[in-house]
Amino acid sequence: MGKVLALAIALLGAVSAEVLAQEPADESRWRVGAAFGYGIRSNPLVQSDDIPIIVDLDIAWFGDHFFFDNGDVGLTFADNETLTASLVGRFNSDRVFFGRTETRFVNIDLAGAPLAEATLFEVPDRDYAIELGIELLADGAWGQLQMTVFHDVSNTHDGYELYADYGYGWRSQRWYFEPSIGASYKSASLNNYYWGVRDDEVNDVLPSYQADSGLNAHARLMLSYQLSRQWSFSLVIEYERLNDEAAASPLVEDQDVFGYFTGFGFRFR
Amino acid sequence: MRRLLILALLLAPGLGTAETGVEPAMKLSVKPVLCITDSRTPSCDIAFLVVWESDLSGYYCLYNDFGESPLQCWNEERHGRLSDDRSVNESFTYWMTDDDVGSRLAVVAVEVLRMDTGDRRRKRRTRHVWDIN
Repeated sequence: MGKVLALAIALLGAVSAEVLAQEPADESRWRVGAAFGYGIRSNPLVQSDDIPIIVDLDIAWFGDHFFFDNGDVGLTFADNETLTASLVGRFNSDRVFFGRTETRFVNIDLAGAPLAEATLFEVPDRDYAIELGIELLADGAWGQLQMTVFHDVSNTHDGYELYADYGYGWRSQRWYFEPSIGASYKSASLNNYYWGVRDDEVNDVLPSYQADSGLNAHARLMLSYQLSRQWSFSLVIEYERLNDEAAASPLVEDQDVFGYFTGFGFRFR
Repeated sequence: MRRLLILALLLAPGLGTAETGVEPAMKLSVKPVLCITDSRTPSCDIAFLVVWESDLSGYYCLYNDFGESPLQCWNEERHGRLSDDRSVNESFTYWMTDDDVGSRLAVVAVEVLRMDTGDRRRKRRTRHVWDIN
């Protein structure tokens, strides 16, 4: 996988020696804002709580080559009229669900069979993985496309993910509407690390499980109204369907992950 | 007699304003005051509705940043309105004057906010889940 990444970097560098977009003179390198409102993201794990969203911070900095974008760091090595290509480091997002699980005494196992006695059950923990990959961005009158390939570089899951997202936005003065759809392919190693059940985790409640690779699909609708230079009101609805291999895990209760957020966004301009 | 005196005191400030040349109170409103452009709509083609109202009748003119001549003048009026069809891609102002064209009685700024960017990275989605800003 490392060789594939290196080859992709070399090819893209050859395609475009021209580097970096010309920013409008008055555009700050910083993007700082926050959204205040209410939303949730459902948690597909058994014995878990949904993830509430009350405040959402947005902090990003875009330099000529380097950028920081809400936890992602990147090095842009090609930029032209067709696409922008960057080397990006990030934390894997699958871990987020494992932060809101509960420990309970249960009388039945995860297959629904009764247990001889009440047993303390805890959803096994998973670690954040640091991933490195290539991101391609393209846009035009046809919409915008984001494609990424990421590989674990922290020896956490040792897998990779291919991701694509397509969106198209309509603006009518203060109103903006943007639907987007996409998919992400999770390798067997990645899928199994987060959704598999290892031998040392097996107990009366939790059976062993080996997850293979799979394809997640997602869709998103965003509607916003610009109230003033700094303030906007937004409604976002998001849906993600976990791949069948993840959904078949005894750790997973729902194959569908729903989310919404509505609130007021402020951006320093 | 006392009532007449009170009435005279109440009227005096208004009379003084007119006679001493103090500028009349002017209310100026413009709709919309925010206009948004992006790569697909690089300029705002809008009919701006300008409404003004003064506490005194007089000679008033409406200006904006796009010309030295007034858009319209009104004589012996206390209020007026104008629909100004315009295509803009930069912020600008409307203002009212009386017969002293150098004094702006009221000013309203119209802001043109550019929502597009020359940097695709600013539109990338992250696991910053909601990305609503």
